[in-house]
Amino acid sequence: MSGKPFTRRSLSALPGYLLLGFWSLLVLIPLWVMVVNSFKVSLDIFRDPFGLPVTVSTAGYEALLAGGSFLTYFFNSLLITTVSIAGILVIASAAAYGLANWTSRASRYLLLVFLAGLMIPIRIASINLLGLVKDLGLMDSLWGLFPIYVAMGLPMGVFVLTEFIKAVPKEILNAARIDGAGSVKIFVQIVLPLTRPALATVAIFNLVNLWNDLWFPLIIIRSDDQRTLMLGVTRLFGQYQTDWNKVLAVLTTASIPIILLYLVLSKQFIQGLTAGAVKE
Amino acid sequence: MKLARIITRALGLATVLLAASAFAQTITLGSWRTDDVAKVNNIIAAFNKTNPNIKVKFDPTNPPDYNATLRLQLESGNGPDLFYARSYATGEELYKAGFELDLSSLPAIKSNFTTGATSAWTTSDGKVFAMPLGAVSHGIYYNKDLFAKNGIAIPKTWEDLIAAADKLKKAGVTPFGNGIADNWDINEVVLMSAMPSTIGGADGRIAYETGKRPFNDANMVAAFQQMKDLAPYLPKGFEALTYNDMEALFALGKVAMVFDGSWTVPQFMDQAKGINWSIFSTPPLKGKAAVVEFHPDSAIAINPKSKNIDAAKTFLTWLSGPEGAKAIGDNLIGVFPMSKNAVKLTNEYANTFLAFNTGTGQDARFVWPKLMVGKPSGYDLLLNNTNDVLKGTVTPKQAADNVAAGLAQWYKPSK
Amino acid sequence: MATSRKSLETERNLAWLVWILPALLVYLVFMAWPLLNSLRLSFYTGSGFQLDNFIGFDNYRRLFGGGEESNRFYGAFGNTFIFFAIHMLVQNSLGLAFALLLSRKDLKGRALFRTIIFIPATLAIIVTGFLWKLLLNPQWGPLNLILGQVGLGDWALPWLGEHNLALPVISLVSSWQWVGIPTMIFLAALNGISEDYFEAAQIDGATGWQVLGRIKLPLLLPIMSVVAILTFTGNFNAFDVVFAMAGPNGPPGYATDILGTYFYRTGIAGQHPVGIPDMGLGAAVSSVTFVVLLVGVLSMQYLGRDRDAEAQKKAAQK
Repeated sequence: MSGKPFTRRSLSALPGYLLLGFWSLLVLIPLWVMVVNSFKVSLDIFRDPFGLPVTVSTAGYEALLAGGSFLTYFFNSLLITTVSIAGILVIASAAAYGLANWTSRASRYLLLVFLAGLMIPIRIASINLLGLVKDLGLMDSLWGLFPIYVAMGLPMGVFVLTEFIKAVPKEILNAARIDGAGSVKIFVQIVLPLTRPALATVAIFNLVNLWNDLWFPLIIIRSDDQRTLMLGVTRLFGQYQTDWNKVLAVLTTASIPIILLYLVLSKQFIQGLTAGAVKE
Repeated sequence: MKLARIITRALGLATVLLAASAFAQTITLGSWRTDDVAKVNNIIAAFNKTNPNIKVKFDPTNPPDYNATLRLQLESGNGPDLFYARSYATGEELYKAGFELDLSSLPAIKSNFTTGATSAWTTSDGKVFAMPLGAVSHGIYYNKDLFAKNGIAIPKTWEDLIAAADKLKKAGVTPFGNGIADNWDINEVVLMSAMPSTIGGADGRIAYETGKRPFNDANMVAAFQQMKDLAPYLPKGFEALTYNDMEALFALGKVAMVFDGSWTVPQFMDQAKGINWSIFSTPPLKGKAAVVEFHPDSAIAINPKSKNIDAAKTFLTWLSGPEGAKAIGDNLIGVFPMSKNAVKLTNEYANTFLAFNTGTGQDARFVWPKLMVGKPSGYDLLLNNTNDVLKGTVTPKQAADNVAAGLAQWYKPSK
Repeated sequence: MATSRKSLETERNLAWLVWILPALLVYLVFMAWPLLNSLRLSFYTGSGFQLDNFIGFDNYRRLFGGGEESNRFYGAFGNTFIFFAIHMLVQNSLGLAFALLLSRKDLKGRALFRTIIFIPATLAIIVTGFLWKLLLNPQWGPLNLILGQVGLGDWALPWLGEHNLALPVISLVSSWQWVGIPTMIFLAALNGISEDYFEAAQIDGATGWQVLGRIKLPLLLPIMSVVAILTFTGNFNAFDVVFAMAGPNGPPGYATDILGTYFYRTGIAGQHPVGIPDMGLGAAVSSVTFVVLLVGVLSMQYLGRDRDAEAQKKAAQK
């Protein structure tokens, strides 16, 4: 290894590379199988699941373009996911800041109340949530998902952010306080920048969950122009389930946008990391 | 900040799309048949030739989610105008809860269907809660080339079938392609395809239901024995093979036979082009009369809360008339129209299936009429014990005893 | 410690509640109330999702009273525990190892590896389920083809069809998918550890293992308890992966039936093909799960708090 200065305190790097290399194969092979077979003629996938297509077929993708308003679905998903994540981050980080600083016993119980949201399957509340969405006049609308998604993201968001904000060194906060900064200023200028990796974690976690949610679009949305990508994809998945190259084309198409979104978000994440967490 | 731009752009697009959507009067048809989108749209197009003012939107949900989603939407007042209704107890349950319009007085029901055809969607006090759409049949698809190459004739008895399977296996051909991973096909298209002949058709079934026969009698043991007979001839790894795997195995020519339903005809017409195939009826045990599995499968109900009940009735009336029956027969190949107006089918495979009915009795799937609602359900008992017999963990006799013991927990024989 | 507490109290304690209020309001209206209102149904029976026939503890009696329903419930409970334990062991250990590796500044290709590790988590469950079912397929799955080619044909099993293998295999696939989450959380925490600790250790001549054992791991303890709690609650409510890879019945022979699928079958979808939900029973299943999770999380937090204080003391001594 080139990093001479590190050799004394680093562990040998080889096992690490082996582990990461092995894991990369384990991740990339299934993806390879998915992508490469989406270009094969229907039953060729069973003759040679690994190899490049003998005859390249884009029939799957053509059917996809013809079969639904995918661009609409995609924008709907993008819209509801980003807006919901923004909502979650704003109110969850504020609540976490409050919970981390409030020294009362009640704060501990409140955190538990939030955590309880992770302990009951959300599907059980479907009929009540449908009632609420109906009362809000948001039935069959993309926006009917918004309050549910924000609420769904809160337990994990509040819990994780509270723990991370608690870990912010007290010295930094006290120094700011002595300089006369109020709690809002401390929150915006010190706590948020310092917990950026945690914020990114919460954002990405919710991105994955909300983007891939099928259940609530399924029961709330009916109109074609309000559908999310997962709803459209799953329908096509059912429609083509024995048309293997079409299924794989559908799955590939569904996977790419979220991987790209992850890359965008994780770029933010990397910036958060390289900013040097404690060096503000 | 790129993100913000994307958001605003998406917002703009969404409003444009919203404004552009037309406000035509439309009725929605919910269903679990996601595979049928193109075919049902053809039927709707035929309907619109004579009824241009009523737009019908076919909006299916994947089968595993259908019942729950439909129920939630109905309860919250967000249900489709029309929806596919399951036969017997499942469908009746929705009627009792007030989610299906009573269609008994709809003229089309009276004039276009026999009471036999509507019976699977009729309550005990005679209310018809859905209009029959189609029946399905079960049989054995076979690879003609593999049969010819190995000198095998179409089996007339179950014993012949097993002998044929043995001959194929010795020749290095996997006889059957069925697996048990999906937990429904082995029960519905294998066991219950063989059962009607084994237990003596509808009369035999009713003898069980009314308590004249115990559920672990010799006929039930014989039915499970048939499953045990099959076990050695299933593919390697059948424990983890799904319904779709089975169909792919057959289409690839890797297996000689598969038990499957008539609804698969169009799929094999499309995918099994590389092989010569046809269908024969699941043969009865030697000395028993052949009874064909002919199952009332789907019907359409009207949501009483729909704002377009008249339009919905118009659609159903058309569907049960001569034009509708023709459209169903032409498009939903392998689903047999149940109205009196049923026309001659043009598809040779569909007609092969229908020909099985000539000169034989027919019956619905064994557990559907009476043994479904209750825990453990007859469906689960047959399914789990078939799986265990195939894996060799219980004997056919034990399997039949398990079925009887399970049903005894809740089932009271009807008179 | 004492000084910081004092300065925090310069602000009125209750003012913090204002920060919490918006989240609390949304959470109570769209989460807590609908959930609790549904758990209430465990004392009712009827058809569909709105029940009005009060039956006291009958649904619980069915779960605990022996017989068919109890067998399913206990079975699902045991399976869920195994499912959770495998995640705890495999997913979280791997996640910690990955995070420790990725936090090394001298590791080449960090960004690439991090992305690769996280990609499975972005996949929709129908993608994961479909791909792994294909890879594990006994007839044409690449895994069994490879095993055959390297002369291990006997090891080529119907992975998802074997009673003893199906649940571990599905748990491993799920760990494969979600390992990116603990990795990311650990990584975020590791990056929050001040460089000063390492520099001090380096001057003391500590080896890599010593830095790991004495500094990194103790400082990660509070976050480990966060990850443990998220794994615990997440997996006791898991559903999708079993549904996608095995189906709602948890085949073969209920070997992969976990609380999530059992709840879905009883409370939401109803048993195939009848499909009449028994919401009261489903609510009872969820209530029991809820109590188990609550007790579990409380004890984890209690333990976590002790270790938390200890770790901070230790780190402060360094």
